[in-house]
Amino acid sequence: MATVDIVLVAGFLFTMFLAGVYFSRWIKEADDFMVAGRQLTPFILAATITATNVNMYSFIGQAGGAYKSGLGIIWHTWVGNMALVFSGIFVIPIMRRLMIRTVPEFLEMRYNRHIRLFIGLIWALKLCFWLAVILMAATRAAQGITGFQDVWVWFIAFAVIAIIYSTIGGAWAVSMTDTIQFAVMMAGALVVLPIAMHAVGWMPKLLATLRANGMSEHLKFITQGQEFNWLFIISMILLSTKWACIDQAILQRAFGARDPRTVAKGMVLSGIITTPFAFLWILPALANTVLLPGIDKADLVMPMFFAQFLGVGVLGLVMCGLLASQMSTISADINSVATLFTNDIYHNLFRKASPKHLLRVVRLSTLAAGLLMILFAYYVVSRFQTVVEANLTVVGIIDMPVFVIAIVYGLFSKRTNWQGAVGGYIIGASAGAFCYKYFSGNPDLSAYAIVHTLFGADVIWAQWAKSLAALASTAAALIGVPLVSAFFPKQKMTKDCERVFGAYKSALHSTSEEEIHMMPTSAKGKLGVGLMIVGFLSFLFGVLSGSVQFQFASQMAVGGMLVFFVGGLTRVYSD
Amino acid sequence: MFDWMTWGIFGIGFGILVVWIAVPIREFQGMLKKRREKERQP
Repeated sequence: MATVDIVLVAGFLFTMFLAGVYFSRWIKEADDFMVAGRQLTPFILAATITATNVNMYSFIGQAGGAYKSGLGIIWHTWVGNMALVFSGIFVIPIMRRLMIRTVPEFLEMRYNRHIRLFIGLIWALKLCFWLAVILMAATRAAQGITGFQDVWVWFIAFAVIAIIYSTIGGAWAVSMTDTIQFAVMMAGALVVLPIAMHAVGWMPKLLATLRANGMSEHLKFITQGQEFNWLFIISMILLSTKWACIDQAILQRAFGARDPRTVAKGMVLSGIITTPFAFLWILPALANTVLLPGIDKADLVMPMFFAQFLGVGVLGLVMCGLLASQMSTISADINSVATLFTNDIYHNLFRKASPKHLLRVVRLSTLAAGLLMILFAYYVVSRFQTVVEANLTVVGIIDMPVFVIAIVYGLFSKRTNWQGAVGGYIIGASAGAFCYKYFSGNPDLSAYAIVHTLFGADVIWAQWAKSLAALASTAAALIGVPLVSAFFPKQKMTKDCERVFGAYKSALHSTSEEEIHMMPTSAKGKLGVGLMIVGFLSFLFGVLSGSVQFQFASQMAVGGMLVFFVGGLTRVYSD
Repeated sequence: MFDWMTWGIFGIGFGILVVWIAVPIREFQGMLKKRREKERQP
């Protein structure tokens, strides 16, 4: 890296530090630290959700997936965006009404405090490990881009500044620095696109070259037999819905909104703006199939491209963008770990703790979470090459049943009791683990004609083991929860339980301007929901028809997604 | 030949960037104003 690039990066890091210090003055109580005092506005909320959501896994990992297998990986982001729109309108406003800070807190209201403690503990540990994984992945990418091999330089750049401002400024610092980091990320990504396209002769030449090289499947949005095919998209619908409804980092940002209507606006706007944003990391990756062919380790592609094709000054700006993407995710997740620990473990066990004491605990646990992240990254994660994929697999298996017990049955079924929740969770997670083990072994299912019809010849089941495991854990939990519940008495309707179902009922028919009720009354609102339904059905038809290589599968899916977004936007700006 | 696809995507991204600088600044100014009014109240 040249001196100009180093100055740009240092200047960016110093600005983030100053911003964090400024917002520490806004912290007066625990709610300020954990959920930004519930005062976030729609566009700031949209920026912080997007910044939390997009990190180097998108710019490096997903780009690597596009290099290897084509456009299909873009649905990882696009389906997530659709899930944000759905959750922002129909699910999260219910939870926002309950004035909770975490999903385990919701689980105590609905079931009991033991489930809250159990899930809180699993999620706090899971997030600590995930933080270590993304820190190490970002460090390796930065080493490849810049040639600076010193691990501690990158730990300080990616993690230490974020830990400092998260510890002193909490959710206020996280949300406001996220808003700045969103703009920096976007600027960096915008600069890369025309550079990559120019190097490859612009889009028409890129498309012609890929087709001439026999890589036409790389250009299809919906494929039959590629790694990110129709089955991958179906599993992403489940995983993304789960993520948008119960991911603590995203939800904590949403809980910081000033009212339920702002939650809906912020999440819908975030979903919509991230959609074209995804092209900014996918298209340069496609260009690199021509510029840097034959690279085995797909995660090395974008670092090599940045190192070879970006000039002085531009590399510095792009490094700021990558730093911004990583710091925004790290700070949000650290804030979440600290909130989970303080809210669902510490306060659960020490119920008489004062608000001032809890503020001290959440600050200390932010610092502790950051230090744990660095220790895990240096001593554990650094020894393994494939941890990102392993982590995503485990999360898919253990989180899908939580979605089922919290949202599917938690909000919509009074018959479900805590025994059904626990039993259904165990059944779901076990089924997912078993399914993953079975398909990772690449079983020979060629005797079944339907396999040829839906997946083509020479099926490599191992590449879809994660997707199938997520489907299995969801299906098993959906069946297991009511089955186990049936053997035990109905859940007692405590005051908290009444509040949960009351929040759902008032979400259906509220008339306040700050609320968004699920049943629209105006023509514009009904049009919005109608477009969402039509758009989703068209998208789903497109995805499923990709299994039989329907000619217009991609057009149906992409067109349906766009109609869905128009519907969502119309809905949140109506009654 | 002009690459409409690349520059179209760039244009949309640039538009989003401009909006997401201007509007959050306005929202932040509104938040700051409310905080100062709250601090002035006894």
